[in-house]
Parts: sequence; structure tokens; C-alpha cells
Amino acid sequence: MKRGFGSRIWLIWLLIGPGILVMLGENDGPSMLSYAATGAKFGLGFFLPFVVLTFAMAFVVQEMTVRLGAATHRGHASLIFERFGPFWGWFAMIDLGIGNFLTLITELIAVRAGMSFFGIPPWISVLTALAVLGAVLLSHRYWTWERTTLLAAAFNLVFVPVALMAHPDWSAFGHAFATWQPVPSLDKDTVLILLSDIGATVTPWMLFFQQSATVDKGLTAKDIHFGRIDTLLGAGLAAAAALGTIVATAPLAHHISASSFQAAQFAQALQPIIGHFGAALFALGMVEAGIVACITISTSSAYAFGEVARKPHSLNLPAKEGKSFYAVLYTCAAAAGAIVLIPGLPLVFVVLVVNVIAVLAMPPALVFLYLLVNDKDIMGDVKSPRWANLLAGAVVVLLTAAGVLYGVSVVAPGAFAWLGGH
Amino acid sequence: MSEKYEHVGEAEEGFVLSALEPDQLVRAANKAMPRRQLRGGELALLWALRVYVVFMLMVVFWQAWTTR
Repeated sequence: MKRGFGSRIWLIWLLIGPGILVMLGENDGPSMLSYAATGAKFGLGFFLPFVVLTFAMAFVVQEMTVRLGAATHRGHASLIFERFGPFWGWFAMIDLGIGNFLTLITELIAVRAGMSFFGIPPWISVLTALAVLGAVLLSHRYWTWERTTLLAAAFNLVFVPVALMAHPDWSAFGHAFATWQPVPSLDKDTVLILLSDIGATVTPWMLFFQQSATVDKGLTAKDIHFGRIDTLLGAGLAAAAALGTIVATAPLAHHISASSFQAAQFAQALQPIIGHFGAALFALGMVEAGIVACITISTSSAYAFGEVARKPHSLNLPAKEGKSFYAVLYTCAAAAGAIVLIPGLPLVFVVLVVNVIAVLAMPPALVFLYLLVNDKDIMGDVKSPRWANLLAGAVVVLLTAAGVLYGVSVVAPGAFAWLGGH
Repeated sequence: MSEKYEHVGEAEEGFVLSALEPDQLVRAANKAMPRRQLRGGELALLWALRVYVVFMLMVVFWQAWTTR
């Protein structure tokens, strides 16, 4: 049956969700801080097209999870356990569990830092984030949860008008995309930012979340095309917000020490350039990024736990039937919140390290994904084509190389001088 | 009788599918999935990456310790 343009748009609206949520969810607190640090340290140059490249990588990877979820009707954790056994399954779960919990801590750090711009005490900031998490779950309907979280995630685009308020140098912007110049010198700081920007876009929780959400939403093999549109749209929106953040903080380049900055300090430093309203929007953007990611990441942990423990796991479950699902979800977030409130915790360091750990944990997760998506027995006709495999292979090589580069920068920093850096 | 079925529109079709699909998905998910044996090369790659992750995590913690 031929569908009209209007009904096609309506169908897309109904079927979008997991892709946009996962991409905007990954534009989380540490990610936005990483982009802010990128702009403030290097200005407009190499990192603008590089960040777009990382979102292209994210699309390649996430599209595979859509196909896996739609073809198998199983979450990612469940598939790894069933296909490869508990030994490898537990390895994947340990990576996910540690990564998710550390990331949750950083989300609440971002919320705390963003709200401190308005003089709100840390404990109120953390309680507000947990209250929003509880509120979006109240309906016990996946659809309502998804639409409410989408609405909140849309606020991530606030970084685009903030960038415009900074009156960017459009010729430098265009030049950066055309030539990837200027390229920063290869040193420890550059490698840390490089890794942090990659970790800001591709992380293990995204694989688990989007596949489980695809299953929970009820997408089937015939909906894969819409899942792709959803993921592409999400990648485009998230890339726009990421570029907006780099452009917004570019005027600070070479004037501040970006690596030691928190969200509120970025907002304060930007205030003379974009005004109090712009700075407040920047701080609110950080709060939103932290809260939305707190929702999606704690949900990802709950899905994975339910799949592995074979307990009911769906956002459609009433509280009584989904006790363990909701308990894991709330407990993870509450424990992370409690840690954020520990006095004297090195918050900025935790934020930087978490993105690095995400990049390091990604190659093994991608190999499982690659093996599953090429498994004809479970994928049937939607098995990965050769071009998708080549791209996925390139992503694994790039991520591993970035990790090795980071290792070299720490263990043998003198090696960069040999390569022409500092 | 056949005329009666010809008049089933998109809305009705959507309603029927929305009622059927969740059940179909539950059945699909409940179907046991056989274990797949990993080949030598795949096992070697997974172990190599496991060693890589553990080693790199030690590097991260070493950096954390020395830059405190």
C-alpha cells in the first residue's frame, strides 16, 4: 500500500525515539564539559570536523543495535549471554556496570555544577535530578517515558543559540571543516581531549540502551528503516549541540586553563562574552544534559540487569510487577547521587577519567556487536552488509589506536617529541 | 461476506496489529536461542581485547594516582 507524505511523516514521528534519545542522552554532562574544554583550549579548528566524524562512527555502531533488536526481539545483554555463554556475558556486564555507574556519578556532578551557577546547594541539585528521574517513570508506560524524555532531551539544542550569542568567526568555522586546520600539536593534553571527545560520542551503555529500547518500543524487522532515520536524526541533532558547545567556548581559547574547569566556571567565564542570559542558558544546558543522561543510563543498567537475571524488564511494567527493574534503576541513581555529595571528592578528575574509560571499554563491546550482527542464524536477511562491516572494523581500529595513543602519552610522553609533537 | 472484509481500513488494520504484535514479540523472545561456539580467531581477539582493557585501566589508575 502506497503511503502519502503526511502519513509517512506521522509514522516517522511514532517510530522515532530510541535513536534520538541515545544520541542526545550521550550528549551528557561529561560530554558537554569535554566539548566545552575542546573549544576553550583549541578554538575553531581540527576538532570541529573530528567531532562530526565521531558522530558518524556513533551512527554506524548504533544502527547495528537497531537491526539486532528488531530482528531478535532481545536486549544486548540477553543476546551476549544466550549466544556466547555466561563467561563472556559477565565480562560484558562488568564493563557495562562499572562504566554506567561511573558515568552516572559524572552526570550528577554536571547537574550539581550547572545548578551551582544559580547558587543552588549540591544536595538540592542531586535531589532535583532524582525527583525528575522518578517523575518520568511515574506513568509506567514506555511511550509516555519516551516522549517526556525526548522533550527534555530537546533542550540539549540550547547550546546552538548560545553559540550564536558568542558571535562566532564563520570564516574560521568554514575553514576548519574544509581543511581540518589548524591541527593541534600532539601532546598529552591533546590526546586526553581527543579521547574524551571520542568517549563523548561512542560508549558501551549506548549499545545496551538502544537495543533494549528498540525491543521495548516493539520495533520489528519491517521498522528498521525508521530506526535508521531515528538514529541519523539523533546523530545530527547531537552533533549540532556538540558543535554549538565548542563554538560557544571558542572565544575563551588560550585565555583559560580548560582542563580544570567545571560547568559553572565555563558559564561564568563566558558571561562577559555572551551575557548573563547566555551564561545561564549554558549552565541550564549542562543541568539538562546531566539529568537526561541520568534517566537513560540508569534505564540501561536496569534493562541489562533484568535481561541477565531473567526478571521482568520493561518501562511498561506496573511498579508491582517490575519491582527489581525499578529498584535497580533508582538504586543506581541514588547511590551515584550519594557519592557526588561526598565532601572533597575530586569531581573534575572523575569527569575526565570516565570518558577515557568509556573509550577503553568500547572495542570489546564492539567485537560482540560485530559477531552478533553477522550471525546469520539470528539475523537472517538483516545480517550486516560488507560495507557496514568495513565501517565497524574501522571504528574498532580507530578506538583501539586512540586508546593506545593515550597509553603512550601517559607511559612514555617523550615519544610524542619523536613524532613531531611536544 | 468477502465485501465485509474488503472494507477493513488502515485504522482497523493498525488496531489489530497493535493488539497482536506485543504477544508475537513475547513469543519470539521466549524461543530458546542456541549457544554459538566461538572460533579460535574470535576467542584470541576477545582475549587480546580483554588484556588491552585491563592493561589500559591500570594506566588510567596509575595516571590518577600520580596526578592527585
